[in-house]
Amino acid sequence: MPEPGARRVVITGLGAVSSAGIGVADFTASIRAGRRTTSPIAGFDTTGFPHTHAGEVHDFDPGAWLRRIEPARWGRSAQFAASAARLAVADADLTASALAGARSGSVMGTTSGESAVIEELVSQWAADGLKSLDGDRVGAVPAGRIAAAVNSELGLSGEALTLATACSASNYALGYAYDMVASGEADYMLAGGADSLNRWAHAGFYRLGALAEEICRPFDADRSGILTAEGGVALLVEPYDRAVARGARIYAEVLGYSVNCDAKHMVHPDPASIAECIRSAHRSAGVTPEDIDYICAHGTGTRTNDATEVAAAREVFGDRIPPISSIKSMIGHTMGAASGFGALICCMALYEGFLPPTAGVERVDPALGPGVDPVAGAARPAGPRVVQNHGFAFGGNNAITILGRAS
Amino acid sequence: MSTAIAEATADRPAVAVLPLAITAVGVATPAGLGLEALGRAVGDGIPGHAEEVLGDETPPPRPVRTVPDLRTAELIGRKGVRHLDRTTQLGLVACRLALDAQAEPMGERTGVVLGTSTGSIRSSSEYSMETLRQERPYLVNPSLFPNTVMNCAAGQIAIRHGLRGVNATLAGGHLAGVQALRYARNALRQGHADRLLVGGVEEFSAQGAWGWHRSGALDAEAPVGEGAAVLVVEPQAAALAAGRPALARVLACETGFAPRDGLAEGLASVVGTALRRSGKIPGEVTTVSLGCTGRTGLDRVEERALGLALGGALPGQTVRVKETVGECFSADGVLQIAAVLGLWQHEGRTRGGTAVVTSLSGDGLVGCAVIDMADPLG
Repeated sequence: MPEPGARRVVITGLGAVSSAGIGVADFTASIRAGRRTTSPIAGFDTTGFPHTHAGEVHDFDPGAWLRRIEPARWGRSAQFAASAARLAVADADLTASALAGARSGSVMGTTSGESAVIEELVSQWAADGLKSLDGDRVGAVPAGRIAAAVNSELGLSGEALTLATACSASNYALGYAYDMVASGEADYMLAGGADSLNRWAHAGFYRLGALAEEICRPFDADRSGILTAEGGVALLVEPYDRAVARGARIYAEVLGYSVNCDAKHMVHPDPASIAECIRSAHRSAGVTPEDIDYICAHGTGTRTNDATEVAAAREVFGDRIPPISSIKSMIGHTMGAASGFGALICCMALYEGFLPPTAGVERVDPALGPGVDPVAGAARPAGPRVVQNHGFAFGGNNAITILGRAS
Repeated sequence: MSTAIAEATADRPAVAVLPLAITAVGVATPAGLGLEALGRAVGDGIPGHAEEVLGDETPPPRPVRTVPDLRTAELIGRKGVRHLDRTTQLGLVACRLALDAQAEPMGERTGVVLGTSTGSIRSSSEYSMETLRQERPYLVNPSLFPNTVMNCAAGQIAIRHGLRGVNATLAGGHLAGVQALRYARNALRQGHADRLLVGGVEEFSAQGAWGWHRSGALDAEAPVGEGAAVLVVEPQAAALAAGRPALARVLACETGFAPRDGLAEGLASVVGTALRRSGKIPGEVTTVSLGCTGRTGLDRVEERALGLALGGALPGQTVRVKETVGECFSADGVLQIAAVLGLWQHEGRTRGGTAVVTSLSGDGLVGCAVIDMADPLG
């Protein structure tokens, strides 16, 4: 439960830069339709790779979205994050001066930081040795530049924190933003995440046997793995009272969250530990399993993930597992941004009244047991009141956020 | 001062922070392993070990500082170590030393908050290079893939010590130390762990050293270094209740963001806020621990900010840990704190110290942590 005296915290602005579109309206429409937006990779040379599909943001033009920062000085992930943050602020109908004049900051998650910049430098190293590295480009390497770009773009003087807890990082970020706003440390926080497609992760996942050839089908009997992806996402988080006072549209209330660590294995998730994380998130939000109307799954599309995630849910929910779907079936695995996109679609599900779908499910894997409803195909009209957003990461880093319909 | 900072700090509540007790420290630095070696080197002006870490690539022609002997076989064992990169090994060694300095084992409700900038830049860039050099781009070594992920070290630390509390990796670069302590205070307050290992780690590599060299961000004579530092922290009240003695307390940890032409004012502003939230006045500050030594242009910005915040000259004790360890990027912040603790121990101080620890990045991030030796520490 929240601490005594803590402020209620709501989400009032959403920004997305993804293969499914730029801006929350396009993104949501694409997801609701169950449209798959993964495609052949153009961002790096795929010659020699057997699998060449990903959730790439093709033809991204940062100059179209950024007003203050000079795109050339920043890496692709920073550009995604700052653009998504700019969109979230516009969506929240907040003026630049109101935001910059308050105690405002950002917290952004990432898995591989500015991996595209690192690969640019690696190609210089390959061509002419380390002595030929472009010194200006070196300055764009630190992953901490992702949150720094958000603060620079929006003129924020509060903290700029980049969390590198891999594929649950955006949920860590949203949890931290919630705490900062609830406790009064901050008045506005941009929370989200960003990552860029890169060759090394594509190669690594392929070698681990985790990369799908063309289609990512979580929960399906014939699934074959993940598709790597990229993008940036930002949620504007503020106190409930402030949102009401300024007449803001409230998408959702952040009810609580939990983080824990398996401490068992770097790449094999642990269902008991995830179940404990779910229970702890419920305690934090002051809800019980019966209150949960929908689970936005981590749902990577690997057999291991599905089995673990469903087992953990079964441990908490028994035979009544809420509808559980994966938007990675449409946009791929956006890594450090993944649970941020999950949180964004949860906000829209609560606000517009639907359950996000899992695309491409033809036959739910019977090995997952009875009662698994992945909302196959397209979005389902519904009136969810409380939803749960999963993020699990490399290193056994679990993070779960609980969002509720604004009341 | 920029208008934005003035407005934003004007209504910042000077709410007192929950003090954290530092009950143990583990460091691996170019001065050697352990706090005593660091304190002696800083106190007596002994430069750190200056031999390069061997790799496939030749580092740039400039001074270096490296950890002389990690004693990995003895401190982290031989099992599963072969595939761990130097970043993870440095982190594991510093944690081992911190845990060995404790009277009792840590419970599983302990967590990890670790600062980085890019993880091991050697591991990720070499992995990327393999995709270019191999006959097929995917013929990379799967067992090295985890090293390319930034939270590898934190995950390994949790696994090896069974630490099931919050496990966070913060990509803060020079700000990582103050950010990690700030993150830790919130995590303890929210009950995500009972106790935390809070650290920073940076390895020396030819790739990283060439990056510094080519960026022009360091003075020509400033060495590129490496190191890891880990503090064991918990709420001071909990340490007192458990009878665990504290080496020092962490008071306020403030961070902010300033425009590039207002870095000194921005840093001065967070130092001022940090002192207020620590219940301290500038006259009580005995020690400053600097983070910008050797960083072109920023060293003067940092000293000017401290002058603004403290009302004139720096206090008698000014610690420049980089003169011993070199440029340690995301390990700097926690090493700046460890240097103060090591120095105080070296000079036999048992009470009365108050240190201001500053951090700055050219991108605009500014931060300040306040450390003291309260009386009694419990």
